Amino acid sequence: MNRKIMSAFGVAAAASLALTGCGGESEPEAPEGPVTISLAGWDFASTPEFETLADAYEEANPDVTVELKEYPAGDDYDTALTADLSAGAAPDVFIVKNLKNYVTFTDGGTLLDISDVAAELDPETGGLEPMAVDGVTYAVPYRQDSWLLYYNKELFEKAGVDLPDGSWTWDDYAAAAEELTEGIDEKSVTGTYLHSWQSTVQGFALAQTEGAALDGGDFSFLAPYYERELALQDGGAQPSYATVTTNELTYQAQFGTQKAAMMPMGSWYIGTLVAEQESGAAETFEWGIAPIPQLDESTTGTENTPVTFGDPTTMGINAGIDESKVETAKDFLRFAAGPEGAAALAGIGITPALIDDTVADAIFSLEGVPQDELSRFSYTTHETLPENPVGQNTAAIQTILGEMHSAVMSESTPVDEAITEAEERVANEVG
Amino acid sequence: MTTPVVGNQRTLGFSQPEPPPPLRKPRTSLKVRNALIGWTFILPNFLGFAVLTLTPVITLFYMSLTDWNIFGTADWVGLDNFARLFGDKSFHIALGNTLYYAALHIPITIIVSLALALLLNQKLRGAAFFRTVAFFPYITSIVAVAVVWNMLFSPEFGPINQFLGMFVGGDLPGWTVSKDWAMPAVIIVGTWKDMGYYMLLFLAGLQTVPTELHEAARIDGAGAWQRFWNVTLPCLRPTMFFVTVMVTIQSLKVFDLILVMTDGGPGQATLVLSQYIFQKGFEQFQFGYASAVAVVLFLICILVTVVQFLYNKRRDA
Amino acid sequence: MTARTSPFRRFGRVLLYVTMIVAAAGIMLPFAWMVISSLKLNNQVFTAPVQWIPDPVQWRNYVDIWVKADMVTWVRNTLVVSVAVTFLQVLTGSFAAYGFAKMRFPGRDVLFLLYIGTIAVPWQSYMIPQFQMLSSWGLNNTLWAIMLLQAFGAFGVFLMKQYYESIPDSLSEAARIDGLSEYGIWWRIIIPLSVPALASLTIITFVQTWNDYLGPLIYLRERPLWTIQLGLQSFIGEYNAEHALIMTGSVLSVLPIALIFLLGQRYFVQGIATTGVKG
Repeated sequence: MNRKIMSAFGVAAAASLALTGCGGESEPEAPEGPVTISLAGWDFASTPEFETLADAYEEANPDVTVELKEYPAGDDYDTALTADLSAGAAPDVFIVKNLKNYVTFTDGGTLLDISDVAAELDPETGGLEPMAVDGVTYAVPYRQDSWLLYYNKELFEKAGVDLPDGSWTWDDYAAAAEELTEGIDEKSVTGTYLHSWQSTVQGFALAQTEGAALDGGDFSFLAPYYERELALQDGGAQPSYATVTTNELTYQAQFGTQKAAMMPMGSWYIGTLVAEQESGAAETFEWGIAPIPQLDESTTGTENTPVTFGDPTTMGINAGIDESKVETAKDFLRFAAGPEGAAALAGIGITPALIDDTVADAIFSLEGVPQDELSRFSYTTHETLPENPVGQNTAAIQTILGEMHSAVMSESTPVDEAITEAEERVANEVG
Repeated sequence: MTTPVVGNQRTLGFSQPEPPPPLRKPRTSLKVRNALIGWTFILPNFLGFAVLTLTPVITLFYMSLTDWNIFGTADWVGLDNFARLFGDKSFHIALGNTLYYAALHIPITIIVSLALALLLNQKLRGAAFFRTVAFFPYITSIVAVAVVWNMLFSPEFGPINQFLGMFVGGDLPGWTVSKDWAMPAVIIVGTWKDMGYYMLLFLAGLQTVPTELHEAARIDGAGAWQRFWNVTLPCLRPTMFFVTVMVTIQSLKVFDLILVMTDGGPGQATLVLSQYIFQKGFEQFQFGYASAVAVVLFLICILVTVVQFLYNKRRDA
Repeated sequence: MTARTSPFRRFGRVLLYVTMIVAAAGIMLPFAWMVISSLKLNNQVFTAPVQWIPDPVQWRNYVDIWVKADMVTWVRNTLVVSVAVTFLQVLTGSFAAYGFAKMRFPGRDVLFLLYIGTIAVPWQSYMIPQFQMLSSWGLNNTLWAIMLLQAFGAFGVFLMKQYYESIPDSLSEAARIDGLSEYGIWWRIIIPLSVPALASLTIITFVQTWNDYLGPLIYLRERPLWTIQLGLQSFIGEYNAEHALIMTGSVLSVLPIALIFLLGQRYFVQGIATTGVKG
């Protein structure tokens, strides 16, 4: 039922967008005669973005039919797509969903060189530049979520804690979380909520620490971030990792049913929360978005650009595509990653890779999205670094770091010991 | 069910001396005929099996000797992948964990499921109901199983630790989120889930135990334990062989359960070989190397199976 | 059991039943949780501490899954595949097992070890070569692929062979002398005596196919082809999941199997003795 309302919300938004004149209108060198290209996406019922892009493109190019091929969501997308690619059964255009697989895809010769498309895109497009491998680009970002801090205004007021003002470092955040927990003083309501993913700690540490690199072999930059989270869970200011995993807590329920006053989460949650509040799946309360807390004061405050992380979602062309379709496929990519695609995506509450004023207007004109200045600032202004920098060994290193994450957060292994172990494993097993 | 018409086999039985087969020296044509008939039985299944299973498995063996990222071509590297296994600590951990799981899961599952089968093979009121209950964990969705057991094991809110807390003071096990207790927790759930399945197989085997043998033993004054040991168990030997081999292989291959319960964690505390294969293959695209791990897993299984096979044969003879 | 029941014995019985009922309740707990969760609102499914009583009770999940999801299609596909696989596995497996158990010919044991050997290879390590092969025949994205994958497994052969070996040879020898062919012996003597094993193989194969996830995941790309497990998984989106509906679907998917199992009881425990033949 949620998804019905969610897509209704999308349709209404798209309609309002069309009225304001943001509909796609492009004049590419359209190939002659009707062409059909296939596009791989996932879980169309709750992920309307593929249909939106396909529809918008077909409208602008009546000769072209974009045929959608549905894959499962989550990691299963990669498993199923991998199988299809290996058997030559994959669609013409597909999403490179996990950046950590990008290098394998290019190495395996599954992707077409689309440097010419990349060159025509706005250089401001989030995550575009690192997609070049030895000067050649094989996939272009069309959407990019960034991590933000969500907060529940009513719980802040109840606890008598000042709302975030964009000046927070992680220490301020931790102090606020403790204060909130005490101030709210209710069983099973905590100051903040940290989901169990490794990115919720490591993504920030990697993005915000000067000189931190995934393939540098030195993971000491993770230590302060882990120490802080451990202190928070030990102090009861957030549910412990053990509870989150064994009780399979969902972040939507924790924040949406007011079990936590704050939560770091990706920008995709804006659309979800709005839809859930409308459908009744989430409770009705006032909320806002703040920049994600920073490592130190050099990047805090609204006069600076806060640093956060987020992987772009990118699109590439199957190397095995029929030659007659290459131009159409490239044109579709240009459209999807360009301003028209961005506008169409924003219309359904999805954050495109290219964020401009039109996009921000579209998002913030949606019913239920907070209207305060800071929320808009947080959404539009940030330096977003990848969680999985493009690199030969990213996938293998992330596996090791993922195992380290569960060892540390479950308090099975002390932070320093776990970091040393991870460093040794990377030296031993990777490369 | 049609009742087979079997004529006075007792009177006819002697014309073909019962054991031992080696003494029987059939003429060559009979041998050939027997082989042909044997093959006609096997062929329908074998065709499907050879094409659909055996061929890909042989491909896998070949791939273990190559460097292959699934998309490109496979480059021949000889035994390099196997050499790499010697230095791969994660592989050693996964191997150790797999053996740990198997070493406990195999005997416990066999004992529990055999006990269940013996209990529920009796003419008990409601036996049908209890058999269905015992089979339930096997048919329940593995995701639900993982979710519920994880909740039961939750160190803070879980009923298991609340219950234990009434009797023991001090530190309670952290179960699935503790390095030391995650494996025992997974073994408990594994046994719980599999017991109904193997109970069913034992139950089928128990139907072949002739009741008159039991009666005879009872008249001879054998106790329940003696009857079990001297009558039931020997008659159950083919089933026991089957169950032992299956439990062994399934334990060494354990995958889904670990994936949904702990995902190999915390750290690498419950990382097992099957999962390592998946990790290397589908997360890191080192299919050649993943295949080599699969071959090692296969060799371990086969080694154990052959030992069981020979042991079983010797006792048969 | 004889009729003389001493009070001591009766007490033992009561104790046994109490233990069994408590154990049964414990075993059914995850299923109970599935049922409870299927009656909840989505955001109430996972909570700490666990909420055991749904409030409000959401019966409409049981309507939604039929109306808003394609449960009908999923059930139909799953049923088609499961029945086909079970039929083929039981038929060819029990047939081949006779060759392994009762016939003697050179290479038999090696061939049999080859069968068992493939059980020892984890499927996920050879599923890609297998997928490439079936795709090259154009069978990817069809239900045929799922049927072929599981229909000729080694498990059925192994199970039936072991069972046949516990059937006394004297029976078939006698029939042979009476002039029955090997095929006749298999059909008229061995099969009727193997009902418990056939029943076990049937239910196990059926459950395995019914609950299979990875196979359909790799092979099926189109909604009209989805099976129950694949359909339920689709309730888990990229960032959100419909946990309550997943549990509703899981409950519905377990019930038919439980029912078949309960109704098929007498076949599981149909002994050789009860068929009227003495070995």
